[in-house]
Amino acid sequence: MSRRVAVTGIGQGTQAKRREVSIGAMVREAVTEAMADAELSFADIDAVVLSKTPDLFDGVMNPELYLADAMGAVGLPVTRVFTGGSVGGHAAIYGAHLVQAGLAERVLVVAYSKESEGNFTWALSRGLPFSAPLGAGAGGHFAPVIREYIQRSNAPEHIGWQVAVNHRLNATRNPYAHVHRPDITVEEVRDSRMLWDPIRYLESCPSSDGSCAIVVTAEEHAGQTPAWIHGTAWRTETGHFAGRDEVNPQAGRECAADAYRQAGIDSPAAQVDVAELYIPYSWYEPIWLENIGLAEEGSGWKLVDDGRTAFDGDLPVNPSGGVLSGNPTGATGLLRFAEAALQVRGLAGEHQVDGARRAIGHAMGGASQFHALWVVGSDKPGASR
Amino acid sequence: MTAESLSASYTVEFPFERTVGPTIGAFLGGLRDGQLYGVRTERGALCPPLEFEPGTGAETGELVPVADTGTVTSWTWVRARLGDPVPHDFAWALIAIDGTIGALFHAVDVGGDSGRMATGMRVRARWRAERVGQLSDIECFEVAP
Repeated sequence: MSRRVAVTGIGQGTQAKRREVSIGAMVREAVTEAMADAELSFADIDAVVLSKTPDLFDGVMNPELYLADAMGAVGLPVTRVFTGGSVGGHAAIYGAHLVQAGLAERVLVVAYSKESEGNFTWALSRGLPFSAPLGAGAGGHFAPVIREYIQRSNAPEHIGWQVAVNHRLNATRNPYAHVHRPDITVEEVRDSRMLWDPIRYLESCPSSDGSCAIVVTAEEHAGQTPAWIHGTAWRTETGHFAGRDEVNPQAGRECAADAYRQAGIDSPAAQVDVAELYIPYSWYEPIWLENIGLAEEGSGWKLVDDGRTAFDGDLPVNPSGGVLSGNPTGATGLLRFAEAALQVRGLAGEHQVDGARRAIGHAMGGASQFHALWVVGSDKPGASR
Repeated sequence: MTAESLSASYTVEFPFERTVGPTIGAFLGGLRDGQLYGVRTERGALCPPLEFEPGTGAETGELVPVADTGTVTSWTWVRARLGDPVPHDFAWALIAIDGTIGALFHAVDVGGDSGRMATGMRVRARWRAERVGQLSDIECFEVAP
Protein backbone atom coordinates (compact mmCIF):
# COMPACT_ATOMS: atom_id res chain seq x y z
CA MET A 1 0.00 0.00 0.00
CA SER A 2 1.56 3.25 -1.11
CA ARG A 3 0.07 5.52 1.52
CA ARG A 4 -1.68 4.89 4.85
CA VAL A 5 -5.42 5.54 4.64
CA ALA A 6 -8.10 5.57 7.32
CA VAL A 7 -11.86 5.84 7.76
CA THR A 8 -12.50 8.86 9.96
CA GLY A 9 -16.21 9.50 9.56
CA ILE A 10 -19.21 7.18 9.37
CA GLY A 11 -22.91 7.96 9.01
CA GLN A 12 -26.04 6.04 8.18
CA GLY A 13 -29.76 6.60 7.81
CA THR A 14 -32.42 4.52 9.52
CA GLN A 15 -33.24 1.46 7.43
CA ALA A 16 -36.99 1.15 6.94
CA LYS A 17 -39.70 1.92 4.45
CA ARG A 18 -39.06 5.67 4.34
CA ARG A 19 -42.05 7.27 2.64
CA GLU A 20 -41.69 10.51 4.64
CA VAL A 21 -38.41 11.64 3.05
CA SER A 22 -37.17 12.24 -0.48
CA ILE A 23 -34.19 10.33 -1.87
CA GLY A 24 -32.01 13.43 -1.48
CA ALA A 25 -32.95 14.02 2.14
CA MET A 26 -32.38 10.36 3.03
CA VAL A 27 -28.92 10.46 1.46
CA ARG A 28 -28.21 13.70 3.30
CA GLU A 29 -28.92 12.06 6.70
CA ALA A 30 -25.94 9.75 6.26
CA VAL A 31 -23.74 12.45 4.72
CA THR A 32 -24.40 14.89 7.60
CA GLU A 33 -23.62 12.23 10.21
CA ALA A 34 -20.39 11.14 8.47
CA MET A 35 -19.18 14.72 8.04
CA ALA A 36 -19.91 15.53 11.71
CA ASP A 37 -18.10 12.37 12.81
CA ALA A 38 -15.06 13.34 10.70
CA GLU A 39 -15.37 16.96 11.92
CA LEU A 40 -15.23 18.23 8.34
CA SER A 41 -17.28 20.52 6.11
CA PHE A 42 -17.90 20.15 2.38
CA ALA A 43 -15.07 22.61 1.66
CA ASP A 44 -12.61 20.03 3.08
CA ILE A 45 -13.69 17.25 0.69
CA ASP A 46 -11.73 16.64 -2.53
CA ALA A 47 -13.91 14.06 -4.28
CA VAL A 48 -17.24 12.26 -3.91
CA VAL A 49 -17.95 8.63 -4.82
CA LEU A 50 -21.54 7.40 -5.15
CA SER A 51 -22.67 3.79 -4.77
CA LYS A 52 -26.03 2.81 -6.22
CA THR A 53 -27.78 -0.25 -7.66
CA PRO A 54 -29.14 -0.23 -11.26
CA ASP A 55 -31.24 2.83 -12.14
CA LEU A 56 -34.24 0.60 -12.83
CA PHE A 57 -34.48 -0.44 -9.17
CA ASP A 58 -35.81 2.83 -7.84
CA GLY A 59 -36.21 4.69 -11.09
CA VAL A 60 -33.69 7.56 -11.03
CA MET A 61 -31.44 7.77 -14.06
CA ASN A 62 -27.93 9.10 -13.35
CA PRO A 63 -28.35 9.52 -9.59
CA GLU A 64 -24.83 10.96 -9.39
CA LEU A 65 -26.22 14.01 -11.23
CA TYR A 66 -29.54 14.09 -9.44
CA LEU A 67 -27.90 13.99 -5.98
CA ALA A 68 -25.00 16.39 -6.56
CA ASP A 69 -26.52 18.91 -4.11
CA ALA A 70 -27.60 16.33 -1.51
CA MET A 71 -24.06 14.89 -1.46
CA GLY A 72 -22.46 18.32 -1.10
CA ALA A 73 -20.65 17.69 -4.39
CA VAL A 74 -20.88 21.26 -5.70
CA GLY A 75 -17.59 22.00 -7.46
CA LEU A 76 -16.14 18.53 -6.80
CA PRO A 77 -15.39 15.53 -8.99
CA VAL A 78 -18.09 12.87 -8.61
CA THR A 79 -17.78 9.26 -9.69
CA ARG A 80 -20.54 6.69 -9.61
CA VAL A 81 -19.53 3.09 -8.98
CA PHE A 82 -21.78 0.33 -10.23
CA THR A 83 -21.35 -3.42 -9.53
CA GLY A 84 -24.69 -4.83 -8.40
CA GLY A 85 -25.16 -5.53 -4.68
CA SER A 86 -21.44 -5.33 -3.92
CA VAL A 87 -21.31 -1.74 -5.16
CA GLY A 88 -20.95 -0.16 -1.70
CA GLY A 89 -17.82 -2.19 -1.05
CA HIS A 90 -16.37 -1.26 -4.41
CA ALA A 91 -17.17 2.42 -3.78
CA ALA A 92 -15.33 2.35 -0.44
CA ILE A 93 -12.30 0.76 -2.07
CA TYR A 94 -12.41 3.24 -4.94
CA GLY A 95 -12.48 6.09 -2.41
CA ALA A 96 -9.46 4.58 -0.66
CA HIS A 97 -7.67 4.25 -4.00
CA LEU A 98 -8.12 7.97 -4.70
CA VAL A 99 -6.36 8.77 -1.43
CA GLN A 100 -3.71 6.06 -1.81
CA ALA A 101 -2.91 7.36 -5.28
CA GLY A 102 -2.44 10.86 -3.94
CA LEU A 103 -5.32 12.20 -6.05
CA ALA A 104 -7.29 13.28 -2.97
CA GLU A 105 -6.70 13.92 0.74
CA ARG A 106 -10.29 13.41 1.91
CA VAL A 107 -12.97 11.52 0.01
CA LEU A 108 -16.67 11.25 0.83
CA VAL A 109 -18.19 7.89 -0.16
CA VAL A 110 -22.00 7.89 -0.32
CA ALA A 111 -24.44 5.01 -0.85
CA TYR A 112 -28.20 4.53 -0.87
CA SER A 113 -31.22 2.65 -2.11
CA LYS A 114 -34.83 3.71 -1.77
CA GLU A 115 -36.44 0.44 -2.64
CA SER A 116 -39.96 1.50 -1.60
CA GLU A 117 -40.03 3.71 -4.72
CA GLY A 118 -39.70 0.75 -7.06
CA ASN A 119 -40.42 -2.95 -7.46
CA PHE A 120 -37.34 -5.09 -7.14
CA THR A 121 -38.77 -8.36 -8.31
CA TRP A 122 -40.06 -6.58 -11.43
CA ALA A 123 -36.69 -4.92 -12.00
CA LEU A 124 -34.72 -8.17 -11.51
CA SER A 125 -36.95 -10.45 -13.56
CA ARG A 126 -39.26 -8.35 -15.71
CA GLY A 127 -40.91 -10.21 -18.56
CA LEU A 128 -39.10 -9.92 -21.90
CA PRO A 129 -40.22 -10.98 -25.38
CA PHE A 130 -39.33 -14.61 -26.26
CA SER A 131 -38.35 -15.35 -22.63
CA ALA A 132 -40.14 -17.42 -20.01
CA PRO A 133 -41.81 -15.12 -17.44
CA LEU A 134 -40.17 -16.47 -14.27
CA GLY A 135 -40.71 -13.55 -11.92
CA ALA A 136 -38.47 -15.36 -9.44
CA GLY A 137 -36.44 -12.46 -8.02
CA ALA A 138 -33.04 -12.79 -6.35
CA GLY A 139 -34.01 -15.72 -4.13
CA GLY A 140 -34.92 -17.75 -7.20
CA HIS A 141 -31.36 -17.37 -8.40
CA PHE A 142 -29.63 -18.24 -5.13
CA ALA A 143 -31.83 -21.14 -3.95
CA PRO A 144 -30.20 -23.81 -6.21
CA VAL A 145 -26.75 -22.62 -5.12
CA ILE A 146 -27.76 -23.10 -1.50
CA ARG A 147 -29.16 -26.58 -2.23
CA GLU A 148 -25.83 -27.49 -3.82
CA TYR A 149 -23.96 -26.21 -0.74
CA ILE A 150 -26.14 -28.28 1.59
CA GLN A 151 -25.64 -31.39 -0.55
CA ARG A 152 -21.85 -30.98 -0.69
CA SER A 153 -21.33 -30.13 2.95
CA ASN A 154 -23.98 -32.42 4.47
CA ALA A 155 -25.04 -29.51 6.65
CA PRO A 156 -28.14 -30.11 8.78
CA GLU A 157 -31.10 -27.93 7.81
CA HIS A 158 -31.28 -26.07 11.13
CA ILE A 159 -28.08 -24.16 10.24
CA GLY A 160 -30.02 -21.71 8.06
CA TRP A 161 -32.60 -21.20 10.79
CA GLN A 162 -29.90 -20.57 13.40
CA VAL A 163 -28.15 -17.94 11.26
CA ALA A 164 -31.49 -16.15 10.79
CA VAL A 165 -31.98 -16.08 14.58
CA ASN A 166 -28.41 -14.93 15.32
CA HIS A 167 -28.57 -11.99 12.93
CA ARG A 168 -32.03 -10.85 14.05
CA LEU A 169 -30.96 -10.95 17.71
CA ASN A 170 -27.88 -8.91 16.78
CA ALA A 171 -30.13 -6.35 15.07
CA THR A 172 -31.93 -5.67 18.35
CA ARG A 173 -28.70 -3.90 19.41
CA ASN A 174 -28.62 -1.74 16.25
CA PRO A 175 -31.08 1.18 16.20
CA TYR A 176 -30.59 1.67 12.42
CA ALA A 177 -31.69 -1.88 11.50
CA HIS A 178 -34.94 -2.39 9.59
CA VAL A 179 -35.99 -5.67 11.23
CA HIS A 180 -36.29 -5.89 15.02
CA ARG A 181 -37.46 -9.28 16.28
CA PRO A 182 -36.23 -9.68 19.86
CA ASP A 183 -38.37 -12.81 20.44
CA ILE A 184 -37.38 -14.74 17.30
CA THR A 185 -36.78 -18.51 17.71
CA VAL A 186 -35.41 -21.28 15.54
CA GLU A 187 -38.89 -22.85 15.51
CA GLU A 188 -40.42 -19.62 14.22
CA VAL A 189 -37.91 -19.48 11.36
CA ARG A 190 -38.48 -23.18 10.61
CA ASP A 191 -42.24 -22.67 10.48
CA SER A 192 -42.15 -19.52 8.37
CA ARG A 193 -43.38 -19.65 4.78
CA MET A 194 -41.19 -21.34 2.16
CA LEU A 195 -40.29 -18.80 -0.53
CA TRP A 196 -37.69 -20.53 -2.69
CA ASP A 197 -36.85 -24.01 -1.40
CA PRO A 198 -34.90 -24.18 0.93
CA ILE A 199 -35.10 -20.42 1.66
CA ARG A 200 -37.87 -19.56 4.11
CA TYR A 201 -39.37 -16.11 4.67
CA LEU A 202 -37.43 -15.46 7.88
CA GLU A 203 -34.20 -16.59 6.21
CA SER A 204 -34.50 -13.76 3.66
CA CYS A 205 -33.42 -10.14 3.70
CA PRO A 206 -36.06 -7.39 3.69
CA SER A 207 -36.30 -4.71 0.99
CA SER A 208 -35.28 -1.44 2.66
CA ASP A 209 -34.76 2.25 2.14
CA GLY A 210 -31.49 3.44 3.63
CA SER A 211 -28.24 5.32 3.18
CA CYS A 212 -24.65 5.21 4.36
CA ALA A 213 -21.66 7.52 4.02
CA ILE A 214 -18.01 7.37 5.06
CA VAL A 215 -15.08 9.75 4.95
CA VAL A 216 -11.73 8.27 3.90
CA THR A 217 -8.60 10.32 4.55
CA ALA A 218 -4.84 10.18 4.29
CA GLU A 219 -2.81 9.48 7.44
CA GLU A 220 -2.08 13.18 8.06
CA HIS A 221 -5.82 13.86 8.61
CA ALA A 222 -6.68 10.67 10.51
CA GLY A 223 -7.75 12.30 13.80
CA GLN A 224 -8.35 10.58 17.13
CA THR A 225 -10.30 7.41 16.30
CA PRO A 226 -9.47 6.22 12.79
CA ALA A 227 -10.15 2.78 11.38
CA TRP A 228 -6.95 2.03 9.50
CA ILE A 229 -7.35 0.31 6.15
CA HIS A 230 -4.98 -2.67 6.10
CA GLY A 231 -5.99 -4.31 2.84
CA THR A 232 -8.52 -3.90 0.03
CA ALA A 233 -9.39 -6.13 -2.91
CA TRP A 234 -12.08 -6.59 -5.54
CA ARG A 235 -12.50 -9.35 -8.08
CA THR A 236 -14.96 -10.21 -10.83
CA GLU A 237 -16.06 -13.29 -12.76
CA THR A 238 -18.61 -13.99 -15.48
CA GLY A 239 -22.02 -14.95 -14.14
CA HIS A 240 -22.72 -18.08 -16.13
CA PHE A 241 -20.28 -20.45 -17.78
CA ALA A 242 -19.76 -24.18 -17.85
CA GLY A 243 -17.65 -25.34 -14.94
CA ARG A 244 -18.22 -22.24 -12.86
CA ASP A 245 -18.52 -22.95 -9.14
CA GLU A 246 -20.99 -20.46 -7.76
CA VAL A 247 -21.01 -22.21 -4.36
CA ASN A 248 -17.38 -21.24 -3.88
CA PRO A 249 -16.58 -18.64 -6.56
CA GLN A 250 -12.95 -18.29 -7.56
CA ALA A 251 -13.25 -14.49 -7.66
CA GLY A 252 -14.34 -14.46 -3.99
CA ARG A 253 -11.47 -16.70 -2.89
CA GLU A 254 -8.87 -14.64 -4.74
CA CYS A 255 -10.38 -11.36 -3.54
CA ALA A 256 -10.06 -12.37 0.11
CA ALA A 257 -6.59 -13.85 -0.35
CA ASP A 258 -5.33 -10.62 -1.89
CA ALA A 259 -6.71 -8.45 0.93
CA TYR A 260 -5.26 -10.79 3.60
CA ARG A 261 -1.86 -10.72 1.91
CA GLN A 262 -1.85 -6.91 2.00
CA ALA A 263 -2.92 -6.97 5.67
CA GLY A 264 -0.27 -9.55 6.64
CA ILE A 265 -2.91 -12.10 7.62
CA ASP A 266 -2.02 -15.78 7.17
CA SER A 267 -4.60 -17.37 9.46
CA PRO A 268 -7.80 -15.35 8.91
CA ALA A 269 -10.08 -17.10 11.43
CA ALA A 270 -7.52 -16.61 14.20
CA GLN A 271 -6.45 -13.10 13.25
CA VAL A 272 -9.82 -11.50 12.54
CA ASP A 273 -11.96 -10.43 15.52
CA VAL A 274 -15.26 -9.71 13.80
CA ALA A 275 -16.72 -9.90 10.27
CA GLU A 276 -19.50 -8.02 8.49
CA LEU A 277 -20.42 -10.19 5.52
CA TYR A 278 -22.95 -9.75 2.70
CA ILE A 279 -25.47 -12.42 3.74
CA PRO A 280 -28.86 -11.80 2.07
CA TYR A 281 -30.10 -15.36 2.72
CA SER A 282 -29.13 -17.20 5.90
CA TRP A 283 -27.18 -20.01 4.20
CA TYR A 284 -24.75 -17.48 2.80
CA GLU A 285 -23.08 -17.28 6.21
CA PRO A 286 -21.41 -20.73 5.94
CA ILE A 287 -20.99 -20.26 2.17
CA TRP A 288 -19.01 -17.03 2.57
CA LEU A 289 -17.12 -18.19 5.67
CA GLU A 290 -15.65 -20.92 3.46
CA ASN A 291 -15.25 -18.77 0.36
CA ILE A 292 -13.23 -16.06 2.12
CA GLY A 293 -11.13 -18.46 4.15
CA LEU A 294 -12.65 -18.01 7.62
CA ALA A 295 -13.53 -21.75 7.61
CA GLU A 296 -12.30 -24.89 5.89
CA GLU A 297 -14.28 -25.88 2.80
CA GLY A 298 -17.30 -27.94 3.87
CA SER A 299 -17.11 -26.92 7.53
CA GLY A 300 -18.41 -23.35 7.64
CA TRP A 301 -21.72 -24.62 8.99
CA LYS A 302 -19.94 -26.13 12.02
CA LEU A 303 -18.88 -22.63 13.15
CA VAL A 304 -22.58 -21.72 13.15
CA ASP A 305 -23.57 -24.94 14.92
CA ASP A 306 -20.95 -24.40 17.63
CA GLY A 307 -22.15 -20.84 18.26
CA ARG A 308 -18.81 -19.37 17.25
CA THR A 309 -20.33 -16.78 14.87
CA ALA A 310 -23.01 -15.61 17.32
CA PHE A 311 -22.56 -12.26 19.10
CA ASP A 312 -20.74 -13.86 22.06
CA GLY A 313 -18.74 -16.31 19.91
CA ASP A 314 -15.05 -16.02 19.09
CA LEU A 315 -15.76 -14.89 15.49
CA PRO A 316 -18.97 -12.82 15.56
CA VAL A 317 -20.53 -12.40 12.12
CA ASN A 318 -22.74 -9.39 11.41
CA PRO A 319 -23.09 -7.95 14.93
CA SER A 320 -25.06 -5.13 13.27
CA GLY A 321 -27.76 -7.61 12.26
CA GLY A 322 -26.43 -7.66 8.72
CA VAL A 323 -28.31 -7.82 5.44
CA LEU A 324 -30.96 -10.12 6.94
CA SER A 325 -32.00 -7.20 9.17
CA GLY A 326 -31.84 -4.42 6.59
CA ASN A 327 -31.09 -4.32 2.88
CA PRO A 328 -31.06 -0.96 1.10
CA THR A 329 -29.09 -2.76 -1.62
CA GLY A 330 -27.12 0.20 -2.99
CA ALA A 331 -25.92 0.97 0.56
CA THR A 332 -25.69 -2.60 1.88
CA GLY A 333 -22.08 -3.19 0.82
CA LEU A 334 -20.90 0.14 2.24
CA LEU A 335 -22.80 -0.61 5.47
CA ARG A 336 -20.77 -3.84 5.84
CA PHE A 337 -17.51 -1.94 5.28
CA ALA A 338 -18.61 0.90 7.60
CA GLU A 339 -19.78 -1.47 10.36
CA ALA A 340 -16.38 -3.21 10.27
CA ALA A 341 -14.74 0.21 10.68
CA LEU A 342 -17.10 1.14 13.56
CA GLN A 343 -16.06 -2.05 15.38
CA VAL A 344 -12.33 -1.34 15.25
CA ARG A 345 -12.94 2.30 16.22
CA GLY A 346 -14.85 1.03 19.27
CA LEU A 347 -17.86 3.12 18.23
CA ALA A 348 -20.41 0.41 17.43
CA GLY A 349 -22.53 1.21 20.50
CA GLU A 350 -24.65 -1.62 21.85
CA HIS A 351 -23.44 -4.03 19.18
CA GLN A 352 -19.77 -3.33 19.87
CA VAL A 353 -17.79 -6.57 20.05
CA ASP A 354 -15.42 -6.48 23.02
CA GLY A 355 -11.80 -6.14 22.02
CA ALA A 356 -12.44 -5.87 18.27
CA ARG A 357 -9.15 -4.67 16.81
CA ARG A 358 -9.23 -6.20 13.34
CA ALA A 359 -12.37 -6.60 11.22
CA ILE A 360 -13.49 -7.62 7.76
CA GLY A 361 -16.05 -5.82 5.60
CA HIS A 362 -17.29 -7.91 2.68
CA ALA A 363 -19.71 -7.41 -0.20
CA MET A 364 -21.01 -9.54 -3.06
CA GLY A 365 -22.96 -8.58 -6.15
CA GLY A 366 -24.70 -9.92 -9.22
CA ALA A 367 -24.83 -13.73 -9.48
CA SER A 368 -21.98 -13.88 -6.91
CA GLN A 369 -19.87 -12.29 -9.67
CA PHE A 370 -18.55 -9.18 -7.95
CA HIS A 371 -16.58 -9.50 -4.74
CA ALA A 372 -15.12 -6.79 -2.54
CA LEU A 373 -13.40 -7.09 0.83
CA TRP A 374 -11.42 -4.89 3.14
CA VAL A 375 -9.52 -5.48 6.34
CA VAL A 376 -9.59 -2.60 8.83
CA GLY A 377 -7.82 -2.32 12.17
CA SER A 378 -7.33 -0.21 15.28
CA ASP A 379 -3.57 -0.31 14.76
CA LYS A 380 -1.71 1.61 12.11
CA PRO A 381 -0.66 -0.69 9.24
CA GLY A 382 2.90 -1.87 9.73
CA ALA A 383 2.75 -1.51 13.52
CA SER A 384 3.21 -4.74 15.50
CA ARG A 385 0.15 -5.98 17.38
CA MET B 1 -39.32 -18.61 -48.74
CA THR B 2 -40.16 -15.06 -47.77
CA ALA B 3 -38.04 -12.88 -45.55
CA GLU B 4 -39.65 -12.60 -42.17
CA SER B 5 -38.64 -10.90 -38.95
CA LEU B 6 -39.96 -12.15 -35.65
CA SER B 7 -41.77 -9.65 -33.52
CA ALA B 8 -43.51 -9.75 -30.17
CA SER B 9 -45.42 -7.18 -28.21
CA TYR B 10 -43.75 -5.69 -25.17
CA THR B 11 -45.25 -3.29 -22.70
CA VAL B 12 -42.80 -0.75 -21.33
CA GLU B 13 -43.72 -0.06 -17.73
CA PHE B 14 -42.15 1.96 -14.95
CA PRO B 15 -43.90 1.04 -11.72
CA PHE B 16 -42.31 3.64 -9.44
CA GLU B 17 -43.86 5.50 -6.51
CA ARG B 18 -42.07 8.76 -5.82
CA THR B 19 -41.56 10.43 -2.47
CA VAL B 20 -41.30 14.22 -2.44
CA GLY B 21 -40.44 14.90 1.23
CA PRO B 22 -41.67 17.75 3.41
CA THR B 23 -40.28 20.71 1.41
CA ILE B 24 -41.53 19.83 -2.05
CA GLY B 25 -44.57 18.14 -0.49
CA ALA B 26 -45.63 21.36 1.27
CA PHE B 27 -45.05 23.32 -1.96
CA LEU B 28 -47.35 20.92 -3.82
CA GLY B 29 -49.91 21.11 -1.01
CA GLY B 30 -49.76 24.91 -1.31
CA LEU B 31 -50.57 24.68 -5.01
CA ARG B 32 -53.66 22.66 -4.11
CA ASP B 33 -54.64 25.48 -1.72
CA GLY B 34 -53.97 28.16 -4.35
CA GLN B 35 -50.90 29.47 -2.49
CA LEU B 36 -47.34 29.64 -3.82
CA TYR B 37 -44.44 28.99 -1.42
CA GLY B 38 -40.74 29.74 -1.53
CA VAL B 39 -38.06 28.30 0.77
CA ARG B 40 -35.56 30.32 2.79
CA THR B 41 -31.89 30.23 1.75
CA GLU B 42 -28.89 32.42 2.61
CA ARG B 43 -29.46 34.30 -0.67
CA GLY B 44 -33.20 34.86 -0.12
CA ALA B 45 -36.44 32.93 -0.66
CA LEU B 46 -36.11 30.39 -3.48
CA CYS B 47 -39.16 29.69 -5.67
CA PRO B 48 -39.85 27.03 -6.75
CA PRO B 49 -38.37 25.55 -3.55
CA LEU B 50 -35.60 22.94 -3.38
CA GLU B 51 -34.33 20.81 -0.49
CA PHE B 52 -30.76 21.98 -1.05
CA GLU B 53 -29.34 25.34 -2.12
CA PRO B 54 -27.97 24.54 -5.58
CA GLY B 55 -25.04 26.97 -5.28
CA THR B 56 -23.58 25.46 -2.13
CA GLY B 57 -25.40 22.22 -1.36
CA ALA B 58 -26.55 23.69 1.99
CA GLU B 59 -29.90 22.55 3.36
CA THR B 60 -32.65 25.08 2.72
CA GLY B 61 -34.78 26.50 5.55
CA GLU B 62 -38.49 26.94 6.21
CA LEU B 63 -41.18 27.57 3.63
CA VAL B 64 -42.60 31.07 3.27
CA PRO B 65 -45.78 32.08 1.42
CA VAL B 66 -45.02 34.26 -1.62
CA ALA B 67 -47.09 36.27 -4.11
CA ASP B 68 -48.47 34.67 -7.26
CA THR B 69 -47.17 37.54 -9.36
CA GLY B 70 -43.80 37.97 -11.02
CA THR B 71 -41.67 39.19 -13.90
CA VAL B 72 -40.86 37.33 -17.12
CA THR B 73 -37.07 37.00 -17.40
CA SER B 74 -36.94 34.87 -20.57
CA TRP B 75 -39.46 33.34 -22.95
CA THR B 76 -39.99 31.44 -26.21
CA TRP B 77 -43.07 31.46 -28.45
CA VAL B 78 -44.66 28.10 -29.35
CA ARG B 79 -47.56 26.88 -31.47
CA ALA B 80 -50.32 25.26 -29.42
CA ARG B 81 -50.63 21.47 -29.60
CA LEU B 82 -53.20 19.13 -28.11
CA GLY B 83 -52.59 18.84 -24.38
CA ASP B 84 -50.83 22.18 -23.98
CA PRO B 85 -51.97 24.39 -21.07
CA VAL B 86 -53.31 27.11 -23.43
CA PRO B 87 -55.59 26.36 -26.42
CA HIS B 88 -53.96 28.93 -28.74
CA ASP B 89 -50.30 29.86 -29.43
CA PHE B 90 -48.49 30.97 -26.26
CA ALA B 91 -45.07 31.44 -24.61
CA TRP B 92 -43.10 29.16 -22.30
CA ALA B 93 -41.41 31.50 -19.86
CA LEU B 94 -39.09 31.74 -16.87
CA ILE B 95 -40.87 33.84 -14.25
CA ALA B 96 -39.12 35.47 -11.28
CA ILE B 97 -41.80 35.35 -8.59
CA ASP B 98 -42.00 38.63 -6.65
CA GLY B 99 -39.79 38.71 -3.56
CA THR B 100 -37.93 35.51 -4.47
CA ILE B 101 -34.81 34.27 -6.24
CA GLY B 102 -34.99 31.52 -8.83
CA ALA B 103 -37.26 31.09 -11.82
CA LEU B 104 -40.57 29.28 -12.17
CA PHE B 105 -41.06 27.70 -15.59
CA HIS B 106 -44.64 28.04 -16.86
CA ALA B 107 -46.86 29.05 -19.77
CA VAL B 108 -47.87 32.68 -20.39
CA ASP B 109 -51.16 33.39 -22.20
CA VAL B 110 -51.26 36.66 -24.18
CA GLY B 111 -54.27 35.75 -26.30
CA GLY B 112 -52.19 34.26 -29.11
CA ASP B 113 -50.44 37.57 -29.95
CA SER B 114 -46.64 37.19 -29.64
CA GLY B 115 -46.31 40.96 -29.99
CA ARG B 116 -47.62 41.32 -26.45
CA MET B 117 -44.78 39.19 -24.98
CA ALA B 118 -41.76 41.01 -23.60
CA THR B 119 -38.93 40.28 -21.20
CA GLY B 120 -39.61 42.25 -18.03
CA MET B 121 -43.41 42.08 -18.42
CA ARG B 122 -45.50 41.61 -15.29
CA VAL B 123 -47.57 38.41 -14.97
CA ARG B 124 -49.99 36.81 -12.52
CA ALA B 125 -50.94 33.14 -11.98
CA ARG B 126 -54.29 31.96 -13.35
CA TRP B 127 -55.37 29.24 -10.90
CA ARG B 128 -57.59 26.32 -11.81
CA ALA B 129 -60.84 25.95 -9.89
CA GLU B 130 -60.18 22.21 -9.30
CA ARG B 131 -56.68 21.75 -7.84
CA VAL B 132 -54.92 18.47 -6.96
CA GLY B 133 -51.42 19.42 -5.79
CA GLN B 134 -49.32 19.66 -8.93
CA LEU B 135 -47.80 22.46 -11.01
CA SER B 136 -50.68 22.37 -13.49
CA ASP B 137 -52.92 23.66 -10.66
CA ILE B 138 -51.68 26.94 -12.14
CA GLU B 139 -53.29 26.81 -15.58
CA CYS B 140 -50.83 29.44 -16.87
CA PHE B 141 -49.68 32.99 -16.16
CA GLU B 142 -51.39 35.99 -17.73
CA VAL B 143 -50.61 39.68 -18.08
CA ALA B 144 -50.93 41.37 -14.69
CA PRO B 145 -53.31 44.34 -14.77
